Amino acid sequence: MNAPDANSGGARKQQFELSIGCVPFRLQMSDRQLFRAAASRYAAFAEAAAQPIHITLNGYSKSESQPAEFNYEFEGAALRASSRETRFDGVRNEYALDSLLRVLLSWKLATRHGFLLHAATVVRAGKAYVFTGRSGAGKSTVASLSPAGTVLTDEISLLRFENSEWRAYGTPFWGEFRAAGSNTSAPVRGLFRIVQAAENRLTTLRPVVMLRALLPNVLFFSPEFEANRRLLDILGHAVDSISGYQLAFRKDTAFWEVLPE
Amino acid sequence: MNTPSVLWQKNPALAWREIDEATVIISPNDSVMHELNDTGSFLWKNIDGHRSATDLASLLADSYEVTSDVALADTQSLLEEMFSRKLLMPVPATDGESR
Repeated sequence: MNAPDANSGGARKQQFELSIGCVPFRLQMSDRQLFRAAASRYAAFAEAAAQPIHITLNGYSKSESQPAEFNYEFEGAALRASSRETRFDGVRNEYALDSLLRVLLSWKLATRHGFLLHAATVVRAGKAYVFTGRSGAGKSTVASLSPAGTVLTDEISLLRFENSEWRAYGTPFWGEFRAAGSNTSAPVRGLFRIVQAAENRLTTLRPVVMLRALLPNVLFFSPEFEANRRLLDILGHAVDSISGYQLAFRKDTAFWEVLPE
Repeated sequence: MNTPSVLWQKNPALAWREIDEATVIISPNDSVMHELNDTGSFLWKNIDGHRSATDLASLLADSYEVTSDVALADTQSLLEEMFSRKLLMPVPATDGESR
């Protein structure tokens, strides 16, 4: 993955390819320190695929006048995506790169019938259990209390509808669990709104209630109407076709006993 | 604002769809989600920029078997609420329009 690229007169550029939720990217940059940090951070997701989305970091643009389809700025770093190229500018460290990559991925997923969700995902017996909640709700706790499962992520899950089923993918965007994420996927068994409680209890949620629980936890950054209409269609389809629950859980592994198989 | 003859249109900046027999509307600018009840969903589906509260109340009365007075009161109340939540806007009057 860490193939050197052409020297175009300036600093030598390096590039690597990764795939998150079957969305392929090719990152190209000349900053060697940033390259090393990014290559390490995304090592588990390194994968070459056909027609990757090409991202130039802090580089010269050949198409300055191209109208951007999507812009986003975050703490001095900027994402600019046009039909011809995607650029991340002002990226000084791996955290800024990580933030812009999340934003870009969330935008690209909207045309691939998928979305990013603040959620921990654990795979047990070949099925993905997606636990969603805001910061502090217990996503990392749930992940740490799942010794019999594979933690795909404890912070940001990727859900996509493909081949007639919803699948959850791991992402390299981690939280307190400090795992690098697992680059695998599994069919979704259920969406669980998590609430810490004294006793374990599972309650079925109606689709519209599940949607209300999901919305604050969906990562989406485009104010554009069409993109939001598309996102609502995707989320509506998800809550209509995936079983939704509220999981009140105690901080021990016994909560798995109330979950559906 | 909410006189019976004003024509109403949906706020074009909003995304919406039916889920679980309810109408769900989201505002892209703030990701706020609005849910409409059965009557609200009925009105929402029939708000097309060409109908007033009177027109909508007439449709409501036909579909829900309520009196015209009750239908108009309910319609105006719901339109007022949707307007206050910026889900609707009045159609600008054109010169010479009698409504």
